Amino acid sequence: MMIGLIVKDFMTIQRQMKAQAFVLIFLLIMAIFMRESSMLLAVIVFIVTIQAITALAYDEQSSWDKYANTLPIPKGDIVLSKYILSVLLMMMGLVVALPMVFLINHLTNNEITTEFFFTFIMIVTSTLCLLAVLLPIYIKFGSIKGRMVLIALCFIPGFLLGVFKEYIPDITRSFLDVKQFIYLTPFAGLLLLWLSSLISTAIYKRKEF
Amino acid sequence: MNAIEIHDLHKGFEGFSLKDVSFSVPQGTVMGFVGENGAGKSSTIKCMLNLLKKEYGEILIFDKDHVEHEQSIKSDIGVVFDELHVPETLNATQLDKIMKQVFKTWDTDYYFERLAQFNVPKRKKIKELSRGMRMKLSIALAMSHHPKLLILDEPTSGLDPIIRDEILDLFLAFMQDETHSILFSSHITSDLEKIADYITLIHNGEILLSESKDTLLYEYGIFKGSREEVSELPEHAIIKKRNGAFGVDALVLKKEVNEAFRLERPSIEDIMLFFVKGCV
Repeated sequence: MMIGLIVKDFMTIQRQMKAQAFVLIFLLIMAIFMRESSMLLAVIVFIVTIQAITALAYDEQSSWDKYANTLPIPKGDIVLSKYILSVLLMMMGLVVALPMVFLINHLTNNEITTEFFFTFIMIVTSTLCLLAVLLPIYIKFGSIKGRMVLIALCFIPGFLLGVFKEYIPDITRSFLDVKQFIYLTPFAGLLLLWLSSLISTAIYKRKEF
Repeated sequence: MNAIEIHDLHKGFEGFSLKDVSFSVPQGTVMGFVGENGAGKSSTIKCMLNLLKKEYGEILIFDKDHVEHEQSIKSDIGVVFDELHVPETLNATQLDKIMKQVFKTWDTDYYFERLAQFNVPKRKKIKELSRGMRMKLSIALAMSHHPKLLILDEPTSGLDPIIRDEILDLFLAFMQDETHSILFSSHITSDLEKIADYITLIHNGEILLSESKDTLLYEYGIFKGSREEVSELPEHAIIKKRNGAFGVDALVLKKEVNEAFRLERPSIEDIMLFFVKGCV
């Protein structure tokens, strides 16, 4: 049943994905000129993964959840399908982006360095964390209200950053200390995503359609 | 056995509530669920489907609690709303692929037969389909896993008489199997007169009547006369009265009224108006 939901989402965003292909070509050309592969990787992964939000927006527009909840699909599966879709999209983004990155590095005679692996891992971790925050917000508030909440949420860290400015160098130093554990961060991201899916399921189960 | 049984359903909203809604749909029958816009038809249906959470009351579908056995019940029902709630970028062929994964009993051949019968294009996006086409697609989707119960929430509203007739014929064909049942919510009473066996009338969140259609149409009569003439009717025979064009109209129990009084046969719409606008 969950496969049906994932298939539906891929079919729904198919057209949008095709449109994004042109953006990717443009980005690739830009990245070649700028000799910047890490940024290309981050942007591609972000653009492809964010299509999960597009799928949620299409669902909201058509009141899909009202229909889906008349089908023999548990509410937990409906939520989980969005998380699986997001992770699959992220993986697709990586599959699309990595050959381009290798191509750029080959053309610019740059070697794949340890620094690049750090960047790669940080991109994966950040994407997982981003999804863990975005999905419950969009499931709870919908795409329009969700965007507002997200903007508000972005202001709070900015505000806190301003207030606790003097402590920031210490934080940076402690971040550098944990750099040796960076390989573990994608697992932490996955754990966060799993926790987020539990929260989203609880939110969804309380919703009325 | 009852396909649906609702006892004392209560659900409150801002400025409106479903108040102790109770009625049942016997297996093998079509229940017409009537009421004006905002009377509580869709809210009752949503509570049955657990789209809205009831505050109290009992809802049994196929004799099983609708929340406890939600998944097994939903495998055996088909639901049609007044709109097709599916992303508009999809088409009918893609929906077949999705539904195959959702229902174990999904019948692709039956689905495409219905689409062909209704002339619904297989590869046209939903957003490019007319309202009539979307409704036909919605009905094909609801019926192609061979459900035992159809729950229809205003499936014919806004459709022209020809399409409505085609759709009603399909529902009549569905009812050839005596284990099948339909709950048909509509304010188009002529559709219900054609296919319903029972009528349940809801008004302001309360059930005003739930009776067999034949009882309503053949045992009730309308007497139209002056106030004096109506006062001569036996009091226990009068169900409801309302002001008519030339005096007072009374909905009466035929068998309780002397044949000297000329009675007209009521329609479902007449009965609905008497119960909603009339007084005792």
